[in-house]
Amino acid sequence: MSGNGQVYEVFARKKRADRFEHVGAVSAPNEQLARVYAWQTYDEAKWFEMTVAPRDAFAAVNRPQAPFTLGDPGGRAPADSR
Amino acid sequence: MGRFTDEELQRKVQEGFIVESEEDMTETYKRALITQLTVQGDTELISAPAYFMAARDAPSTNTMVSATAIIQDELGHANIAYRLLEDLGVDRHWLLYEREPAHFKHPYGFDQPLMNWAELVSANALYDRAGITLLGDVHRNTSYGPLKRGLVKVSMEENFHLRHGEVWIRRFAEAGGAAKEAVQRTLDWMFPMGVEWFGMPDDRKHHNAQLDFRLKGMTNDQLRRTWLKAVVPLCEELGYDLPAQYDADTDEVELTYELPCQYDPEARRWLFNETITWKQVFERWKARGPMNEQYVDSLRRSRFAVERLLAA
Repeated sequence: MSGNGQVYEVFARKKRADRFEHVGAVSAPNEQLARVYAWQTYDEAKWFEMTVAPRDAFAAVNRPQAPFTLGDPGGRAPADSR
Repeated sequence: MGRFTDEELQRKVQEGFIVESEEDMTETYKRALITQLTVQGDTELISAPAYFMAARDAPSTNTMVSATAIIQDELGHANIAYRLLEDLGVDRHWLLYEREPAHFKHPYGFDQPLMNWAELVSANALYDRAGITLLGDVHRNTSYGPLKRGLVKVSMEENFHLRHGEVWIRRFAEAGGAAKEAVQRTLDWMFPMGVEWFGMPDDRKHHNAQLDFRLKGMTNDQLRRTWLKAVVPLCEELGYDLPAQYDADTDEVELTYELPCQYDPEARRWLFNETITWKQVFERWKARGPMNEQYVDSLRRSRFAVERLLAA
């Protein structure tokens, strides 16, 4: 079965004047599901506004690599070490 | 990865350095973080089928809704931990659907059946309190930035679960009679389960990468003590008997039984008089408890069934 699609970063704010806050990320096969997963997962506040964007849409400005780039999603743990 | 040595990174995180990317990590740091996040995610995930088993005994539609809201929260928390693991190169599909049930890393307490409403709310009062104790410490102290942010939502919601549990065990206590006895019978097996939740005592651990790398702030014994000092005085106030005593003068809790201790999962009873070693306890944890396979299977069954339908 195909993996989890791609990673979407989730941003939200509680009221109009607020800045958007990076609240987390979801993995989803498409944007429609990314929106649903984000709304269901990060439901800790009554958000005025929430938005998602694919992780690879972000470009680094002052750092060598784009933000949120860690590891290789879809990789596998080295071992199931207990 | 690899701009620091282990010693350099340990010194930096103790001085407040926050790790944000893989290049900030060492291999040891990453391994310790993966273990910690796996325990965290598995504990949240397996609490869902455990709570669901008991929620079917909810006394009304409203209470069923509260219980399923808690279950949904727990699944969200598991998702956050697994999402962070994905960024560390761990395959979430493998974590959820391919691992042997016995390889999950949640505490032994969540391998036990939860039979009814009294058991569900007792678990909220004891196990969610354990969760807050552990994750609250991680939230305050972790050197891993993404986890610190991820725990904002988790801490908020775990407090709601805890209140749900404490309000209900108070209600059972005030009702007295059979209601109070139902919770008392639960606490008899569940309380020592909570004591074990925090793992081996400190003098059994030679060194601890999670502490060295500031993935948490408190030792197992300090965390256990924090939990005991929250649970024992409350239960005493409500008139429940626990094998522990709170001393208000010293503000300390003493267990009135010897650790380590053996558990008979079929009889759901602690064998307080049987002396065993921590090695034997570790063996029991590793062998997992009676509901281990069933709980994991219940999270997989319908997904696989639908996949088969779609493939047909």
